[in-house]
Amino acid sequence: MIKVDEKKCLGCFSCSNVCPSQNITRTETPELRSVHWKRCKEECDLCVEFCPAKALTLVPYDESCPEPTLSFDLVACKICGSRYATEPMLKRIESSLPANLQKDSTGLDWIWVCPVCRRNIEAERATKQMVLGRSRKSP
Amino acid sequence: MPVYVDISRCIGCRSCEVACKRVHGGSGHVNVHFAGDNASVPVFCHHCEEASCTMACFTQALHKVGERTAFDVEKCTGCGLCRLACPFGVVWTDKIAHKCDLCEGRETPACVLTCPANALSLDFELASRRARARAALVAAHGGRR
Ligand code: SF4
Ligand code: SF4
Ligand code: SF4
Ligand code: SF4
Repeated sequence: MIKVDEKKCLGCFSCSNVCPSQNITRTETPELRSVHWKRCKEECDLCVEFCPAKALTLVPYDESCPEPTLSFDLVACKICGSRYATEPMLKRIESSLPANLQKDSTGLDWIWVCPVCRRNIEAERATKQMVLGRSRKSP
Repeated sequence: MPVYVDISRCIGCRSCEVACKRVHGGSGHVNVHFAGDNASVPVFCHHCEEASCTMACFTQALHKVGERTAFDVEKCTGCGLCRLACPFGVVWTDKIAHKCDLCEGRETPACVLTCPANALSLDFELASRRARARAALVAAHGGRR
């Protein structure tokens, strides 16, 4: 059976993806992600091995033990407001990157911006000079 | 060694998007963006020297091989961390991660081959030579662009 340390779990996609027997399920609404662990009887520890946060441990099977569910509010993008990630995942990104990579050239904390807005910013940055040039040319 | 873009040549036709999808079983790794109606640019992986995605990936599925940021599908759990760690938003995770692989196994990347405007190339020198040539032309016309 699997025990989850709720202080460590990031609410990521790993364990629910690697479990071969659908014993870990994920549900997602626009605001909330929940992960649910069934009382698992398999002799398998794929989820334990592949948890990035080492939040899972194998424990002896116990019928009386309740099945845990953890729910995570999804963080809203600083720019467009769409909900795009769990807070522990974003904090984890912060702790895995050196400080100088966490701000872009304009000082933006891009980690707290959703991937769609990140692509838009990149496109704006790349085309800026060009657009200036072209608008000057037009009558 | 990423694919280099000559933005002034891009006509926004999205041919690169289609080409990338075609050779990657339907999941594309490049998005064409528009800046108003004045310019367009394909956005895709820069194969960063200091690649945040590789620092966030806990299985080393994303890793550096020389100048490329390479991906080992066997190691990926689809956790989704890399998608959040790329400053440019150019890693996607649907069950597993995917991003520009520079068309590994092909002689020339599909997007480079397909672009009808010759906006994409593997040759940084070519891109900067063209930019210098344009700058020279501008100077020759009295600095007016
Ligand atoms: S893999 Fe670990 S961190 Fe991710 S949801 Fe499962 S228990 Fe939580
Ligand atoms: S996926 Fe993003 S962080 Fe990784 S090498 Fe490409 S551009 Fe850089
Ligand atoms: S989704 Fe795959 S490639 Fe991305 S960080 Fe997780 S294990 Fe690494
Ligand atoms: S080099 Fe290949 S994988 Fe990369 S964007 Fe171009 S077509 Fe897609």
